[in-house]
Formats: sequence, structure tokens, C-alpha cells
Amino acid sequence: MTTITPTTKSSHRGTGTTATRVIGLLATVMCAWLVVFGLILSPADRDQGDAVRIMYVHVPSVWLAYLAFIVTAAGSAIHLFGRRHSLQADRVAGASAEIGVVFMGVTLVSGMLWGRITWGVYWQWDARLTTTALLFVSYIGYLAVRNLDGTREQLARRSAIVGLLAVLEIPLVHWSVKLWRSLHQEATVLGTDLDVSLDGLMLFSLFVGVVAFTLVFVWLLLHRARTMAVVDLAAQRRLDDALIARRREGGN
Amino acid sequence: MAVNEPNLQPREASNSARNRRRVLPMVVLALVFVAGGVIITQALSTAVDYYCNVDEVGLRSGCDEGRRLRLQGTVGEDSVVVTTSATLFDIEFNGAVVQVEYEGEPGGIFRECLPVVVHGVFDAQSSVFLGDRVEVKHSEEYVAVNDDRLSEAESAACTPAT
Repeated sequence: MTTITPTTKSSHRGTGTTATRVIGLLATVMCAWLVVFGLILSPADRDQGDAVRIMYVHVPSVWLAYLAFIVTAAGSAIHLFGRRHSLQADRVAGASAEIGVVFMGVTLVSGMLWGRITWGVYWQWDARLTTTALLFVSYIGYLAVRNLDGTREQLARRSAIVGLLAVLEIPLVHWSVKLWRSLHQEATVLGTDLDVSLDGLMLFSLFVGVVAFTLVFVWLLLHRARTMAVVDLAAQRRLDDALIARRREGGN
Repeated sequence: MAVNEPNLQPREASNSARNRRRVLPMVVLALVFVAGGVIITQALSTAVDYYCNVDEVGLRSGCDEGRRLRLQGTVGEDSVVVTTSATLFDIEFNGAVVQVEYEGEPGGIFRECLPVVVHGVFDAQSSVFLGDRVEVKHSEEYVAVNDDRLSEAESAACTPAT
């Protein structure tokens, strides 16, 4: 079992460090930039009008959800196949999945709002939307598996297997618009032809959104992984205390 | 067991909070399986309606006039007529044209020269496509409303899809 060494600094409170504070500050600044560029400086679209501004949240959130789930898979692989079966890697995997589910939820809600304005319907059971919904539900399942009954190591091992299987859905989601006819448009930026069909200021606003959401992701990931480490430490201490209490009961 | 050895047998859980923590993930997991089943079922039942381009009607397997279809094409220029009960318009694809009658007013950003997907069936007598759902399909191209290329883009937008 991997042990967690508590910090020797008794005055250290919370999960923040200088690095997370800098990242948090940068994330706040970039989010403010995103509001300015997304709502004020970037132009309306010829066909969609102001609904195009939803893209500056929708697209970065889905990219970050993909990234989060890939980080989950990487953490799962390190835990499962690494020699030390690192619980720290498992914590990063779990924290990343939680954030990914939030980003994927934002993707679905913002997409539905955009769809109602542009397509005329909130939802359509087409390839892209269906596979995205399945991906979202899969990672809710992953989080449920993380909370099933069992030892810490059992939970880490089970969830690592689910995390490695669920990530295989991402290519299916991304290329669903190529594989099947879909109401959803094909990729504007990450298309196979590498031709970006996006106005200059729209592209820049999208870039600001991606940077802002990436910083938010990193900030949340660091804090959440550290919070999970504290929870594991507390559980380990409870176990240690219980063993000491039992030994006292036995007179040792 | 020796007298001084500690009793390391697991003790009974004393509070219901722990039981709740055990049951809740199982309930969530069961709901996940149900949700996954519903999503797949819904997607498959929608996929029963073949997704056809206008020029594929009667030619491509599954795109028969006698069945329910999802028909994709571009709304023809100057073809939209709004009556008190219906919206009439043409949809075009690769030179083929189909007349559509939709009861009501299409939502979204529906207008001429934009690609749409119409759900419905062909009227056996008139060959008009009777739509019950119209979805506007947006391309992956984003053009600023005040862009210098606007006139060029507008003329391109009216080019029927191929």
C-alpha cells in the first residue's frame, strides 16, 4: 500500500501553493479576456448571428473534456501497469474524470442551447450527439465505480480498467461526423484537411477560450488531486488510530 | 486466542451513513446502464429513418419514396412560401429538387440557401415531401457578419449543395 507522508509544515492550510495561485490568477484573467472577446470584440456570424458566441464555451469545453479523459486514461495506465501501482496516479485519474464530466456537461448544455437557436431543436439522436451522450454517461459510470465498496487498491484497479476502456470512445465521438451522416457540422479547426474555416477574430476568441479553460482545468486538477490525497491520508490515519485502539484493548 | 492479543475481527458497521455510501454508487451505476440503454435505443430507432440526400431518392438503397426519410438538401432560392397553416419550399441537392410541405413554421435560422434536414414522408399522389420536422444544418464555415467577403460568401451560400 502506498503511504502518504503528511507535510511537516503545521502552518500549511488548504491545497493551494504558489504555483496554483499563479495558475488561478492567470485563469481568472483569461476568463475575463474570454468574456471581452467572446461577447464584445468578436463579430456575429453571418447565419447564426450572436449564437456563434456559444461556440467559445462549447468547443473549449469539449476539447478540455477530451483532454481530461485522456489524462484519466494515462493515470489509469500508470496505476495499473506501473511497478509501484501508484495511488497518486489513481488520484490524478479520478480528479481529471470529475472535471471532465463537468466540462462534458457544459458541452452538452451549451450545445443544446446552440442547437435550439440554429437547428431549431434542442436535441437530435444523430451520431455526434448520441456518442457524446454515451461518453458523458460512461464517465458518470466511472465515477460511480470509484465509489463502490472495496479497499482503496481494489477501487483504484477497477476504476483504472474502466478509465482505459471509456477513453476508447473519444475517437468514435470525434470522427462520428465523418463515419455517419450527421446534423452536427464537421470539425472547423481540427478537421482532416487542416483548413480553418473561421473568421480571424472568431478564431482568436476560440483560442482565448481554450487557454482559459485549460488553465481552469489545471488549477482544478491540482486542487482536487491534493484534496483526494488528504482524504486518503485521513482514512489511513483513521485505520492507524483504530489499530492502536485495538492493541490497547488487547493490553499491548 | 491469547488473552492479550487484540481482537482484529471486523466490527459491524454501526451507522446507516456507511450503508448509504455503499448503496448510492450501485444505484448510480444502475442508472448509468439504464441511461446507456435508452440512448442507444433512441439512436437506433431514429436511425431507422434513412438519412438521404435529395438526389438519392429512389436510387440509393433505403431511400425509397414509400418510407419515412430524413431528407437533406439546400432550401431553394425564392422558393419559400408561408401560408396560414404551412410552409412550402424546395430543397435541392446535386441538381435534384424536391418540394416540401411543412405544417407550421420551421425554427432555428431557417431561410433560403441554407442546408436543412426534413423528417417526413412523400405524398403518394403529389410527390410532395410532407415534413413533420425541419432542422437547419449549419456548415463548419463561420463568416463574420460584417466581413469583406460577405457578398462572396452569400453568393456561395446560395449554390445548391453537391
